Amino acid sequence: MLKKIQIALLLALLILVCCGEPPATNGGKPAKVYRHAMDGAPGSLDPAQAASLYANFIVVTLDDTLYRYKYLARPYQLQPNLAAAMPEISADGLQVTIRIREDVYFMDDPAFANGKGREVKAQDFVYSIMRHFDPETRAQGAWLWQNRIEGLDRWKEQGSDYDSEVTGLRALDDHSVQITLTKPFPQLIHTLTQGYAAIVPREAVEAYGQMLSNHPVGSGPFRLASRDSARAVLTRNPDFRQQPFDLADEGYDPASQANLGLQVLQDRSPPFVDRLEFEFITEDAARWNAFTAGEVHFIKVPVSQFDNVLSQRNPVTLSPGFDGMYHFEASPESGFVYTNFNMDDERLGIHPDPEQNIRNRALRCAMVKAFDWDKRNEIFFYDIGRVFPGAIIPSVPEFDPAGDASYIQRDLKGARELLQANGWDEETLPTLEYGFPNSVTERQIFEQFRNFMMDAGYPSAKIRPMIFATYGDYQRAYSQGKVTLINSSWTMDYPDAENLMQLYYGPNSAPGSNSANYKNPEYDRLYDISAAMAESPERTENYRKMNQMLIDDCVSINGISRTLLFLWDRNAIMKPDRSFLGGYFLRFVDLAEPANTTP
Amino acid sequence: MTGTTWQRLKSDPLGVGGLCVVVLFALVALCVWSGLLGQGWSEVSGERWENASSDHWFGTNLLGQDILQRTLFGTATAFEVGLIVTACSTILGTLMGALAGWYSHSWLDELVLWLKGVLDSIPFYLFAAAVAFALQGNPWAMHLAMIVTFWTTTARIIRGEVMRIKEREFIEAARAIGLPGLVTVFRHVLPNTFHILLVQGSIVFVAAINTEVILSFLGLGIQDGVSWGLMLAESSQEVLAGHFGNFAAAGGSLFLLLMGFNLLADALQDALDTRRAIR
Amino acid sequence: MNRRYITRRVLYGIPLILGVTFVSFLLMVYFGPDKTYELLGKNPTTEQISEVRRALGYDRAFLLRYGDYLRELVTLDLGLSDSSGEPVSVILKRTLPVSIALVLPGFILGNLMGLALGLLAAWYRGKWLDKLVMSASVVGMSVSFLVIIIGLQILLCTPYGLNLFPVRGWQVHDLGSYLYYVTVPTLALVLVTLGYNTRFYRAVMVEEIERDHIRTAQAYGASPRELLFRHVLKNSLIPVLTRIMFSVPFVVISGSLLLESYFGIPGIGLVTFNAITSGDQPILKAVVGLTGVLFVLALTVNDMLYSLVDPRVAKP
Repeated sequence: MLKKIQIALLLALLILVCCGEPPATNGGKPAKVYRHAMDGAPGSLDPAQAASLYANFIVVTLDDTLYRYKYLARPYQLQPNLAAAMPEISADGLQVTIRIREDVYFMDDPAFANGKGREVKAQDFVYSIMRHFDPETRAQGAWLWQNRIEGLDRWKEQGSDYDSEVTGLRALDDHSVQITLTKPFPQLIHTLTQGYAAIVPREAVEAYGQMLSNHPVGSGPFRLASRDSARAVLTRNPDFRQQPFDLADEGYDPASQANLGLQVLQDRSPPFVDRLEFEFITEDAARWNAFTAGEVHFIKVPVSQFDNVLSQRNPVTLSPGFDGMYHFEASPESGFVYTNFNMDDERLGIHPDPEQNIRNRALRCAMVKAFDWDKRNEIFFYDIGRVFPGAIIPSVPEFDPAGDASYIQRDLKGARELLQANGWDEETLPTLEYGFPNSVTERQIFEQFRNFMMDAGYPSAKIRPMIFATYGDYQRAYSQGKVTLINSSWTMDYPDAENLMQLYYGPNSAPGSNSANYKNPEYDRLYDISAAMAESPERTENYRKMNQMLIDDCVSINGISRTLLFLWDRNAIMKPDRSFLGGYFLRFVDLAEPANTTP
Repeated sequence: MTGTTWQRLKSDPLGVGGLCVVVLFALVALCVWSGLLGQGWSEVSGERWENASSDHWFGTNLLGQDILQRTLFGTATAFEVGLIVTACSTILGTLMGALAGWYSHSWLDELVLWLKGVLDSIPFYLFAAAVAFALQGNPWAMHLAMIVTFWTTTARIIRGEVMRIKEREFIEAARAIGLPGLVTVFRHVLPNTFHILLVQGSIVFVAAINTEVILSFLGLGIQDGVSWGLMLAESSQEVLAGHFGNFAAAGGSLFLLLMGFNLLADALQDALDTRRAIR
Repeated sequence: MNRRYITRRVLYGIPLILGVTFVSFLLMVYFGPDKTYELLGKNPTTEQISEVRRALGYDRAFLLRYGDYLRELVTLDLGLSDSSGEPVSVILKRTLPVSIALVLPGFILGNLMGLALGLLAAWYRGKWLDKLVMSASVVGMSVSFLVIIIGLQILLCTPYGLNLFPVRGWQVHDLGSYLYYVTVPTLALVLVTLGYNTRFYRAVMVEEIERDHIRTAQAYGASPRELLFRHVLKNSLIPVLTRIMFSVPFVVISGSLLLESYFGIPGIGLVTFNAITSGDQPILKAVVGLTGVLFVLALTVNDMLYSLVDPRVAKP
């Protein structure tokens, strides 16, 4: 009897769990379903909270920004999206006027009167940016525009009342926006490509509040059908505007891109597929299996598979088993990995006593010399990461190929001599805390670091791990100066080296992104001058000077830019991209033939 | 432990086998503590993922560290956790149990029972995670989490025993002489529960080692050093690429030690005839 | 069972629930993970930090926050996840069925097999079959859950073994796919619990079999079948039910925590694990609070059941 009940219960449960989704169709034809594997899950899908790459990918597909990057052009070039054209900028660089397209409508949603999506207007853009300055929003993008737009910070101080105007952020009429800057800000248009700047209707924010995250309303080519911690399903927005695709306009390069099959997109208006499915698979092996089994169309190849996938590292070449089976791209990340010293820590950072200060610098420089970039690259990046001195990564034009390469060469003898000459020995060396959020790989990276230092005579007991259960707790600890050796990575927000140089700008010290707490008046002065400049030889020279200061002061063990490997199904017509939060390519994805038959 | 118990234990081959395994591992742990073994656990001494060889009996891991050295050091970690947790939770449990049992049905008893009820009601791994958070970065967080949860079983058993023993005649006699309550408990009652504590202690030891592995795997355990749990966590990222060194070494050692302890605990229970009390 | 006893039992549950919620609140929330820095943009100002702390309610007095927590539990108004903004109740509704579907087969199989083996060993106690079963159960008890999971994964899910099942995931939409994804976790759960279950059931059965009235019935020539079902199994129902009831929280939370985080199954264990590693307090509060309350309820109901069977318990 008991058994029967159990079986009945089990069956009932199965029925509960097994409610499958009906196959989507597109006017009788089988639906085109593109499946995308991501190595993490997004948090909130409210554009104001789209801090992660994962959230940004989905947000820029559901919503629209005024500008984006050209789909195919490299290096990156700006392209109007909801804007009708590139902005008009006044001679002093302080006034920016942007025209907005007139044929754009939000997707239908109960939040609107009659449930019918209304036109997107200049006021919506103004509102969406203002939201970042409203504490109610819990927005994360305010830093992009803080102290830069006339009156915006004051608007916040006065209580974030949407009915009162901001002088520097105004809708001139329904289709033009005027932004008045407090100082020249050449990166402004770049900031308008980010998910943070995506346009949401006030009706939806007021209707859903915090729930907007799960009920996004935008004007993008797709709408959210469902999502949980394992996947998100987006379906085509049937009312998406006509915006025919133009290869030349997107920076198509026939020489390098002809094999991608992108020609079929010419003159058609996106979206090209019926469904976008995102699979959030954090475990490398599982993600890889899903890809090789054909369950997803795209993968960023996990490092643990590099051995398997590549036959050669320089140039990067696919193994015979993969060559020809998939589309393939190897591209450097627009970011880097580094280990900062906490310069506020008197045991190895800046010290009021000038002599101790010199000894501390020697200690830092000795640790830099003891660090073995070749081994780090070999073990954790399969030898295809690009090591460079300082903070200017190889993929920006400011990079100096003739930079100080000795900074990234291991010199154990030099390290030992430097320590000895400055009176550092097993007794006097300080006990340092090396922080990391808990994970197997982070721990291995720490143990490798400790080994490098041990080779130079640093006692192993004097480099202690400081482990945090969450990334946020780790951030809090180093923002409060509790960590001495800070291992982190930086992903650029926009393709402008200013975004790298600000990492060591004094006023950005903790809790800001200058986790090294580096405060060099000369560096800061050059930064202030250069940040307001557009790319130019003069600015490049300044940035290189600043980079040399970082090297001379041994502020950080930096750095390495990882190489990302993308593989995608031959049926998927696309050029994937992960830089600057990325995700825009997803609106142009097409499939060569109706979706495959995997579940 | 009386002579007869020892005789009974000796006649149980499985028990003797278990004892040998435990003693062997304990010796390894002692050698590690005294600096004779496993000192090179963090040194990189080879290339990555070397196969087993005479230099590296279990091969090397991703960084090129010798897996044998790490396994040996992990033995010491297991014993350290096991001993500390067992000792502390037994002492705590005995005290609480004795107090509750002696003053049974008083407010003190109710308080201990309430505390035990509260601690038993929180899912263990969540509780351990919570303690680890509250003591952020403290190397003893894991030990504390286990001690705080493991004492309750010991306390329940001791409480029952104390309540049973205190009705006996010699306690009545002690009372008649006018010995104050607590002195009586410690002088006469607790020695009579020693055999139960021994068996319960070996069960706690097993639980502590088992738990350390899972907590370290979840990242809530060992901070500095290496443990079998950390090695298994590493192995979970390697086995799919065909590297089994960490898994075989840590999983195998863990199995052997737990097996030894389980057999020993069983034999002890039979020899001391405490099965009823423990359950 | 009298009304006074029930009232007393229920009243006894209240300080227990208060204690559980207080301890879990103190540890998981008050001293717990801090979400502030994950919700901050780059280059935050101290003003923005305090804004986020205010929005998360971190700046409020301890007792006020604890009071709110109790109110949330009573009204089941569990708030919104700090990470995704989804209502916690929606998350629980979505994930709980997955976890139940994941652990139920293993739980039932583990107990049924344990019962069968325990009965077998008890029936032939002292014989070689008993010794075989008991030795096997010691072996089973000595293998760590983690080793079982990784070992099964190598054996069943990789090219180094049989490569029959998926490495991870949960794409369940019909019976076939359910079996495809549930098999390896189920095997792991059965293997880890079987040793303990077998020993427990054997002990219970031995105790029952050796009771006087069973011996009497046996002496009067009752058939083994009748003995087994009418006497032994029926009488041991209470300890068996107790064990099952008390292992439910272990299986659903602790068991699924490890299984789900290892196999990437979007159930309540994975959600809890993610909440731990991202500091999502509303989810942690809900999970810990609700399981604590459920456990106390199970305890109370169990005591009442006992008093039904054995009225002496109910005497004050």
